[in-house]
Amino acid sequence: MNILIVEDEKTLALEMAEFLGKEGYTIEHAWKKSSAAEKIFVNSYDFILLDLGLPGGDGFELLHQLKQIPGREDAVIILTARGDVDDRIKGLEAGADDYLPKPFSLTELLARMHAIIRRKHKLEMNEVKIHDFVLDIKNHKLSFEGQKINLTNKEFEIFNYLVLNKNRVISRVNLTEHVWGDILEVNSDSNFVDVHVKNLRKKLTACTPIDWFETVRSIGYRINF
Amino acid sequence: MKLQFKLALYNTLTKIAIITMLGILILASIDNITVNHIQKRLLQKKDRLVSNLSTIEINELLNQRTFTDYNLLREEYIILKELKKGEAPIKQKFSIEQRSIEGNEESFKILITDFSYKGKKYRLELGATMSTLSQLKHTISMFTFGILIAAVILTLITDLAFTQFLLAPFYQIIDKKLNKVNDPINFNYEPVKTSTEDFRILDQSISVLMQKIANLFITEKEFIANVSHELLTPISVLNTRLENLLTDEQLSQEGENKIFASLKTLNRLKAIINSLLLISKVENNQYGKGDQISITDTVNDVYEELEHRLLMMKLSLNINLPFDHHFMGNRSLFHTLISNLVNNAIKYNVNKGSINITSTRTTQHYLLSIADTGIGMDAAVIENAFVRFEKLNSEKADSHGLGLAIVRSIAAFHQLQVDIQSEKNKGTTVVIRFPLSAS
Repeated sequence: MNILIVEDEKTLALEMAEFLGKEGYTIEHAWKKSSAAEKIFVNSYDFILLDLGLPGGDGFELLHQLKQIPGREDAVIILTARGDVDDRIKGLEAGADDYLPKPFSLTELLARMHAIIRRKHKLEMNEVKIHDFVLDIKNHKLSFEGQKINLTNKEFEIFNYLVLNKNRVISRVNLTEHVWGDILEVNSDSNFVDVHVKNLRKKLTACTPIDWFETVRSIGYRINF
Repeated sequence: MKLQFKLALYNTLTKIAIITMLGILILASIDNITVNHIQKRLLQKKDRLVSNLSTIEINELLNQRTFTDYNLLREEYIILKELKKGEAPIKQKFSIEQRSIEGNEESFKILITDFSYKGKKYRLELGATMSTLSQLKHTISMFTFGILIAAVILTLITDLAFTQFLLAPFYQIIDKKLNKVNDPINFNYEPVKTSTEDFRILDQSISVLMQKIANLFITEKEFIANVSHELLTPISVLNTRLENLLTDEQLSQEGENKIFASLKTLNRLKAIINSLLLISKVENNQYGKGDQISITDTVNDVYEELEHRLLMMKLSLNINLPFDHHFMGNRSLFHTLISNLVNNAIKYNVNKGSINITSTRTTQHYLLSIADTGIGMDAAVIENAFVRFEKLNSEKADSHGLGLAIVRSIAAFHQLQVDIQSEKNKGTTVVIRFPLSAS
C-alpha cells in the first residue's frame, strides 16, 4: 500500500515514514501544497496523510481538489496541530476519512488506518488469529475454539488495539487515550486501565494459558504473536 | 423602571402639580374677586337709587310693612330709615352679617350708607346674598378638578405615545446591540435609524467599541491557532521520534523505560497545553451553543465513562435526579465540565467512599450538586480552587491544576454559577446553578 505524507515539518514526516515503512507501506512525501497537488493529480494513493497548515496554502484546498477527481478513493486522514474547533467537522464534511489532532501516537495512527482499510476495502481480513483465539473485528467478537468469549466493549477495544500493535509495548497512557479518547486530565498514574486488562486476562486465562500477553512492568502491555 | 415610563411619569406629576396649584390659586382669589364684585354692584345700586330718588319713593320705602324689599329670588334687599338726631352719620360701610329671611338664615354682604334728601337725613342698607358665591366656588372647583383629570389622562397618553416614538431607536440599540450580542465577531454594524443626535452617537460608540473587541477577539484567535501549531508540532515530532526509538531491537531495558517515561512527560505537556488552549478557546467564544442539553443524560454519560474509575477505589456513586433540566449550550463542553467535577470527586475521595449527584429546584434556579466524601479543602484552598495551576492536593501527581479552571471557564461560557462548599476530611460539594428563565 502506498501513502502520501503531505507535511511541511520534515522531521515529523520522516519519523512517520520510518514507522509506516517498517509496517510495510510505501511512502511518498510532499512538503508543500503545489508539489502535493501535483502528486495527488498524477498518482492515486491508498492513504493521504494531510497536514492542514501548509506552505502555499490550506490543506483543505487539496482535499477539495482530490474530491473533484472522479473515481478516486484515496483515504484521507487529516493530521493537524491547528486549534480550530470546527476543523474536525469541516474536514470530515469535506470528505476526509478521519481526523487526528497533533500530537498523536504512531500506534494510534496505525489503528485508525486499519479501521479505514476495513471500512473502505471491505477486506476479508476481518478475522485475526492470535494463537488459539480468533478476533472478529467486524462483529466485535472474540472466540476460543469456536466458543464466544463475552467481552465488554472496553475489553474488546483494549485487546483489539494490542493485537493491532502486536509485538510492541503499548503504554497505559497510549491505551487509555485510544480507548477513552483524548481526555484532558491524564490520569496516567491511576492505572484504572489495569482493572480492565485484569478482567480481560482473567477471561482469556479461563480458556488457555496466555504467556504471550505480557505485562511490561510500570509501562504497559504487549501481545506477542 | 424604563426610561419611557419615567419620563411619562415625570410629565404627569409636574402637570398635576401645576394644575393643582392653579386650582388652589383660583379658589383663593375667587373669594376676593366675588366680594369686590358684589361691593361694586351694591355701590352702583346705591348710586342709581340715590340719584333717582323722589319723595314718593322714599315714603314707599319707609312705609314698607316689613321694612324690607326682596326681589323675587331673595338675593338682595333694601332698607331705608330716617336718621335720628344725634346719631353719628356713616359715610359708607361694608359688612358681612347673617340675616334671617323667612326662616332661612343666610350670609349677606351689606352696604350701610347715609345720605340727605331735601334737608332730611336717611340711612340706607343694601344687602346681597353670599350664597351665589359659594355656588360659584363649587362650580369652579368642580371645573378645575375635571380639567385636572382630563389633562392628566391626556398627558399620560400623549407622553407615552411620544416617548415611545422618541425612544424607539434607543430601545432598538439596547436590544439589538447590547442584549442580544454575545459574539462580537457577528455583530450587526448597520446603524439604527434615528434623527436623535444622542442616539446616533451612542450607536456609533457601541459600534466602535464592538469593532475594537472584535479585533481583539480575532487577534486572540490567531494567537491561539499559532500557539497550537508552534507548540504542538514539536511535541508531535518528539512523540513520533521516541516511538520509533522503541522499535529498535537493540534497545536496553533501561533505555526502553526511559523512553516510556519521556513519552509520559510529553503526554503531560500535551495535556497541559490542550487544557490551556481549551480554556482560551472557550473564553474566545470559539464554541457554538446550538445543542439542546439534558442534564440527566449528561450525568449518565459521564457516569458510564468514569464507571471504571469507581471500581478502582470501590466508590459508590448515587445519582438522584428527580427532575431534569434542558438548556441550550455546547454538549461536549458541558460534558467536560461534569466529567471534570466527577473526576475530582473520584480523585480526591477516600477508599470505599461515595459520591452523590442530586438536584433541587427553586423558583429561579435548577441546582445540580456533586458531593463527595473525600479529603475536603480548607476555606483558604477553596478561594484558590479556580485559579490555574492551583493544585488542591499536591500529593496527587497526576493533577496539573487546570481541571477547575476549565470548569470555571465552561460555566462562565454557559452563564452558570459554580459554588464549592467543603470541609477538611469530610468532603466537598460542588453546586452548579442553572438559571431557569434561560431555558
